[in-house]
Amino acid sequence: MNGQGLIKGLGITLKHFFQKEITEQYPDVMPELATRFRGCLQFEFEKCIACGICVNSCPNNVLSFETEKSENSKKKKLLSYTIDFQYCMFCNLCVEGCPKDCLHFDHDFELSTFSRDDIKRVYLRPAEMDEEKEADAAPVQDEQESKEQKQIDAMLKALQKNPQKILAKMLEQEEDIGILSELMQSNEKTAGKIAELLVKDKEKAAKVAAGFVTKEKKNRLQAEKGGEE
Amino acid sequence: MFEFSAFSLYDAAFLAIGGVTILGALGVVLFRNIIYSALSLVFTMLGVAAIYFQLNAGFLGAIQILVYAGAISVLIIFAVMLLMNKEARRTNLPTTRTKAWFAGGTITVMMLASIIAAVGFSEWPKTALQGVDNSVGMLAELMLGDYVIAFEAAAILLLVAVIGAIILAKGVENK
Amino acid sequence: MEHLFTNLATALTGWMITLGLSPVWADVILLLVKWIIIITIITLNIIILIWLERKVSAFFQERLGPNRLGPFGIFQTIADAIKLLTKEDIVPSAADKLIFKTAPMFFIVVAVMLYTVIPMGQGMEVINLNIGLLFFISMGSLSTIALLMAGWGSDNKWSLMGAVRSVAQMISYEIPLAFSLLGVVMISGSLNLQDIVAAQDNIWFVILQPIAFLTYFIAATAELNRGPFDMPEAEQELTGGAYTEYTGMRWALFFLAEYTNLVAVSALMATVFLGGWQGPWLPSWLWIIIKTYGVILVFFWVKWTFPRIRMDHLMSFSWKVLVPVSLGNILLTGAGIYFCQWMGWC
Ligand code: SF4
Ligand code: SF4
Repeated sequence: MNGQGLIKGLGITLKHFFQKEITEQYPDVMPELATRFRGCLQFEFEKCIACGICVNSCPNNVLSFETEKSENSKKKKLLSYTIDFQYCMFCNLCVEGCPKDCLHFDHDFELSTFSRDDIKRVYLRPAEMDEEKEADAAPVQDEQESKEQKQIDAMLKALQKNPQKILAKMLEQEEDIGILSELMQSNEKTAGKIAELLVKDKEKAAKVAAGFVTKEKKNRLQAEKGGEE
Repeated sequence: MFEFSAFSLYDAAFLAIGGVTILGALGVVLFRNIIYSALSLVFTMLGVAAIYFQLNAGFLGAIQILVYAGAISVLIIFAVMLLMNKEARRTNLPTTRTKAWFAGGTITVMMLASIIAAVGFSEWPKTALQGVDNSVGMLAELMLGDYVIAFEAAAILLLVAVIGAIILAKGVENK
Repeated sequence: MEHLFTNLATALTGWMITLGLSPVWADVILLLVKWIIIITIITLNIIILIWLERKVSAFFQERLGPNRLGPFGIFQTIADAIKLLTKEDIVPSAADKLIFKTAPMFFIVVAVMLYTVIPMGQGMEVINLNIGLLFFISMGSLSTIALLMAGWGSDNKWSLMGAVRSVAQMISYEIPLAFSLLGVVMISGSLNLQDIVAAQDNIWFVILQPIAFLTYFIAATAELNRGPFDMPEAEQELTGGAYTEYTGMRWALFFLAEYTNLVAVSALMATVFLGGWQGPWLPSWLWIIIKTYGVILVFFWVKWTFPRIRMDHLMSFSWKVLVPVSLGNILLTGAGIYFCQWMGWC
């Protein structure tokens, strides 16, 4: 019969009238996001190897980075990494391409900012990554005392964190490196001395380090003998 | 100062309504923009309807509004809009032909004379007329009783006119 | 409670007469007071009504609707009204200024005039007119002119098109509207709305005249330019029809008048078909309010259910379906009355 559809339609709207509202009360109540929701692109500086795959795979030229080639090492040194968010379309291609998993999307979707410049994110090289690298560079003589002290402090930290890497430059044998790092952990003075020398004079540092190692070896041998007796 | 009585209030209302009616009628003639003229016609019709209401002929007044002010004037405005092709401000200029002036003047004078004569020579009842409460019912009885033939004939006439208009507008198909 | 307002009116007249005014002037002042009250009620009512429509439409679409300002967003419309009042009043330079400016006033005046005859309760109306129903219809027909003025005065093709559409639509639907009411008039034997209410003492006319009720409802929706018959305003095709060029308070006047018309038509529907102010327990003026709001909710329901229909379908529906049906209803009613008299039931 004609007009049946009209009544049906009225019935449908009436049904919806009494159903629960599905509006998300967003600023008051945060919406529940799916696990793979693409919010804000996050970058982890330490993991990045500056391979450039992400830059190549991005269709919108969102990503860019600056590198520096140092003479001492073959590796490119990543100076800064820029995500220009205003062009990102959240296609996930960069995340898929990255071999080191340094890019991922988190659940923060409130990306709006007051000015266009704010939306651009620049990740600068974190200081602690630089400390080891700066050990390579020869210290500049006319630098102020305080700056030197700072470098020494930074070096100390780096030594505490990752002694093998730095000590490898001075000592040949792995055994020796292990011994020295153990020594530095137990004795702060030794560590301080080595750090200072590393910053000021590398050759001397290597000699002193060798000296420390032989001394320690002797000590250990005596200790072993004493233990046997 | 003034001693307002029911009579004077009634008169004041009549003066206001009559003023609107006459101003509207003048506007129809004098406005240079024909749309303004058509809209003034609406006000004239409304004024006439108001006079009907004041004379206790509510039914007539309502029909006047419904048919003349509500529908006929809209049709007139439509027709005017469809036919207008000049600048709106110069669509209703006074005619320049002396003959037309003469003809219009003659007709106006004749109409005025006849109205004045009709008002002057009629004998008006001395007592105030009593408003009829059930004017609609009486009208119905008259229209569908005593004057049913005239009423129906008018209806058929209008129907014929409508059909004629449609044929004129659409044209007859030649076989 | 029942005679609250009528007693107030009598007291007011009595007080004015004791002040030395002649009874005629007291009547005139009472009339003015009634008008002022009606205009106040209309304005306040519209604030609630707009809020209600937004809320109801939201519920139909499983949304929340306005919910920021005040409890349940009740103050949203007031904020909107303030915003509209403070908006810039733009008159297009090419517009016909006089017509452009008078159109909204004319529209709202005509809309308010509709309330003259509606009985708001037992013995509560501005004027107890003998031909109340006819007066209502004829006043309603005047709003076409206001829309035409708005459309023409704006000097904008969308406006003119909207105006032409709405005039065509309103003139076409006036006929079934009037015809559907004729059945009721035939049964009650009067055009006086109070008499029509009194005639529904035993049985509402919606039961005696179901076809007329439906025809009236459809025709009234079209007369109000409400969805699904809102082609004249059709935001999507005509960018607002006759109101396109209006801003600020002038536009708000149109908006106000539309809702005023909605309430008036709903109140008439409640009066003519749903027993008017008659009802048990509650005072009569409360009953008419409840019934009017019920009808308004149905109007909302229809608007938010059906999509807009096409202009030519709309016109042919009026002339080819509604007019014959309402004419047939008149015939049926006449036959019914004769049958009834012949059987001696009435
Ligand atoms: S998500 Fe797509 S557009 Fe955004 S940075 Fe990654 S590759 Fe570029
Ligand atoms: S793809 Fe990954 S590792 Fe390679 S440059 Fe981009 S972020 Fe760094």
